[in-house]
This record gives sequence, structure tokens and C-alpha cells, in this order.
Amino acid sequence: MAPDALSLADVDAFYGDGQVLHKVSFSVGEGRLLGLIGRNGAGKTTCMNVAVGLLSPRAGRVEMFGVDVARTAPEEIAQHGVALVPQGRRVFKSLSVRENLSVAARKSKDVRSFWTIDTVFDMFPRLKERHNQPAALLSGGEQQMLAIGRALMGNPRLLLMDEPSEGLAPQIVADVGRTIARLKADGLSIVLVEQNIKLTLDLADDIVVLNSGSVAFAGPSTEIKMDDAVIARHLGVH
Amino acid sequence: MSLWLTLAVNSVALGGLLFLLSSGFSLIFGLMRIPNLMHGSFFMLGAYLGVALLARGINFWIAALASAAAMALIGGLIERVLLRRLEGQVLPQVLLTLGFAFIIADVCLMLWTGDPWQPATPDHLRGAVQVAGLYFPLYRLVVVAVAVAIAIALWLLVDWTRLGAMIRAGVDDAPIARVVGIRVSQLFTLVFALGAALAGFGGVMGAPYLSVYPGLDFEMLPLALIVVILGGVGSLLGALVGSFLIGFLYNFGTALLPDLAYVILFLPMVLILVLRPQGLFGKVTT
Repeated sequence: MAPDALSLADVDAFYGDGQVLHKVSFSVGEGRLLGLIGRNGAGKTTCMNVAVGLLSPRAGRVEMFGVDVARTAPEEIAQHGVALVPQGRRVFKSLSVRENLSVAARKSKDVRSFWTIDTVFDMFPRLKERHNQPAALLSGGEQQMLAIGRALMGNPRLLLMDEPSEGLAPQIVADVGRTIARLKADGLSIVLVEQNIKLTLDLADDIVVLNSGSVAFAGPSTEIKMDDAVIARHLGVH
Repeated sequence: MSLWLTLAVNSVALGGLLFLLSSGFSLIFGLMRIPNLMHGSFFMLGAYLGVALLARGINFWIAALASAAAMALIGGLIERVLLRRLEGQVLPQVLLTLGFAFIIADVCLMLWTGDPWQPATPDHLRGAVQVAGLYFPLYRLVVVAVAVAIAIALWLLVDWTRLGAMIRAGVDDAPIARVVGIRVSQLFTLVFALGAALAGFGGVMGAPYLSVYPGLDFEMLPLALIVVILGGVGSLLGALVGSFLIGFLYNFGTALLPDLAYVILFLPMVLILVLRPQGLFGKVTT
């Protein structure tokens, strides 16, 4: 059986003395899309930070494609075929659009999907039009496209997306949703962290609900769609 | 040559030297947030090494490059072995680099004594160049030309290569740069070594007319600090403009208002800190 794309097992994580994650466990099968949802401060972004190596867990295991990466540096984890679309986009603002993409370029061992600047521009023609502009001058939606494009330039096998719809107009959110659906259809394993429950439930195969740093629910998205009480209980929405 | 022209030529030459010193200082501070108080020491130690090599009859340019390479090695080692452990801790970094500045000063005093050393200007760079009936000292023009050539090379490296884009990505957002796979740690070492090399090279270039003596390190360090504060941390253009600005202020201030030389030098820095803390060409950091 193929190893999971990402697996967290009994992960405890802290910021200073404050414990943020309590024995968090979940896994993402290869080619699946996992929606990670929860209230503000539930620990979703912390899970992403642990996964990409920005925060070392104090206990527990983090595996990517069967390799333990719990205390590995972010740049080494990236070599395993993992890419992050960070919360708030965090594009390199003083770099041009093209430079943002080129610094993240990495060839994949998997020849199936080979992202280059040209293929990213094919996916986001708007970026091509603005390829020489500093990223700081892009709109929020364009910066989000650039953040996604930059992540794809690493030719990842696992894509972590932290609130890609945050602060975007509804039409742009729909575009981002279509992009994610396309990437999923291409076979990419994806973790989607979102406050936008509808978007997440529309796209995800599996759902993990975090509540106060613990896993409150984990299961197929069909299950949570059938049971509004789970969403109401953990997210306070109906 | 009139006094004004002499002062202007000296100012431009000092500006060139200051650029060699401060460009590395600015890149190191901009990328790594390390207030490297031993940067003046790289300048002085590089100059002493250059003097020692010149005394053995080695070609001037080879001596300058060898000194730069030695400073790159020493700087790279200090960054890799010691400063790396103090990442993000400004006060320990200040103390460590200050400590090394004193150690280097003592080692230089032991090896080269307290006497000033002034190597002769290389034979092929002696004399003057006549332009429009005026004579300009060739060596100082060469210093300026070298500084401008290095400024262009650094600009091409930082603004027009993928390596430079990676360095700028590290300056913009080091954690995310690491997440996209950029080996920011290695870039830090490279930039630190490059900065040390430039300072050492500048030390050798300056030796024939500044001479080398104990205390040169702590004379040059505040000048580099002022240049970087004026120009803006991490900005090569800022370092270039700031260097020539300080070159002029220093020479004209010392010659015309010697009692107020430091006021003329430091007052612009104070004003910039108050009115535009990011410097003339620096970015606002959040």
C-alpha cells in the first residue's frame, strides 16, 4: 500500500510555553484532498507550519510519503515534493512576478506533472500579462494566483493551501476553487485549510475539524455534509 | 588643482572606498539582520594582510584579491560556526561581533605593531591624468572606477540573476523562502563571506593613501553605519549614494569646518533616523 502523502500522529506543538496542538493526528491519502477546518485559533495554520518545518513539534510524528520529517528544516522538506500556499499569500513583494516563480522552480522526480513558468502562465494568463511587475503591485487575487503558481513551480506531490480564499472577492474565490479542483483532478494531494466551509465541503474528499488544538472530527466529507450538527457544534455555523 | 577640486576628488575616492566597505555591511544587515560590528575589522585586517603581501613583492591586484579571499574565509567561518547559533538574537550578535573586533584589533597590533604602514602606490597606478587642463591623481580615479565596477557587478548579481533573486527573496521573507526550497542558510554564509571579502578588498585599495594603523577599524565602522542608515538597509543603490554623500561630507566637513566635522557627519544620520528611518532607498519593514 502506498504511504500517505502526509501523516501527523499524536503531534504536540507549542509557541513558547503555550501549547497549540494536542495530540493531533490525521492523514492525507495520495491524490486526495483533505479539508482542514476550524474556528480562528483552532490550530489549523500551526498544523501547516509543523508540516512544512517552520515549527518543530515537541512530540509526535510527521511523515511525508512515508519519510519522517518532524524535525527537518523547511528547505529539506521542500525536497520531498511539498509546497505551501501560505496564509496571507506572502509573495516576495520586491521580486517581479517572473522572479517569484523562478526562485521556486524545482524539477520533479515525477515527470507526470512538470510545472514551468510557461505552464503556470497558461493556467494564470493574468500573471503572464504582469510578469515584469513587482509582486507588491498585484491585486489580492493576483497575489493569490502568484502564491499558487509559486507553489506549483516546485512541482509538488503534496500541496498545502492555507486559507487561499481569505480576503478575496466572491468571483475570485470561485476562480481559486476551480483552480484547486483542476489540481486535484491532475492527481495532486492537497490539504486545504479554510474558513470558507462551503468551498471546502465542495472540494474535499475528507474533512478534519480542529477545535482548540485537538481533532474534533475526522472522516469523509460526505459524512459531515449529512450531519449539520458536527459543523454547528465545532464551528458555530448553521 | 584648486582646493575645491582636490576635496571633490578625495571625496569621490573616499566614497568609492566606503562603498566597498558598506555594500557588504548593508547586504549582511539587510539579509541576516546581523549588526556586524567587526566589519571595520575586516577592512583593517584585509589592509594589513595586503600590506604584508605587498612587502613580499606580490602584485598589488593579486594581494588585494588574496586579502579578499582570506576575509571571505574568516568571515564565512565566523558566520557558519558562531553567528549561526545566535540567529535572531541581536544583543548576543552585537557582543560577539564587537568581541571579535577587539580580538582582531589586538592580533593586528601584535603582528604589525602600533606603527602606521603605508604601502607605496603601485608603479603602474602612479602619477596623474590630465583632463581639461586639470590633473587628477590616477590612483584615486582607479579606486572610484573599481568601486563603480563592483557596484555594477553587485547590481547585476542581485537584480539580474536567479541567485540574486533568491537573496532578495530571503530578505523579503526568510521563512517562506526556506519553505519554497531556497537554502537561505547557505545564502547567509555566502553573503557574509562576500561582505567580508569586499571590506578586505577595500582595505587594500585604501591602504596606499589612508595607510593602515591601529584604530582604522573603529574609524571606518561608524562611517559604514552612517552610510547604511542614510542609504537604507539592504539597498545597494542606497549604499552607493550614501557612500559618496558621506565621502563629500567627511572631506569637506573636515577641511572647512574641522571643529564641526562630526556634527556635519552625524547630523544627517540623526535627521534620517527621525524623519525617514528606512533611509533614502530602504524599504519600510513591518
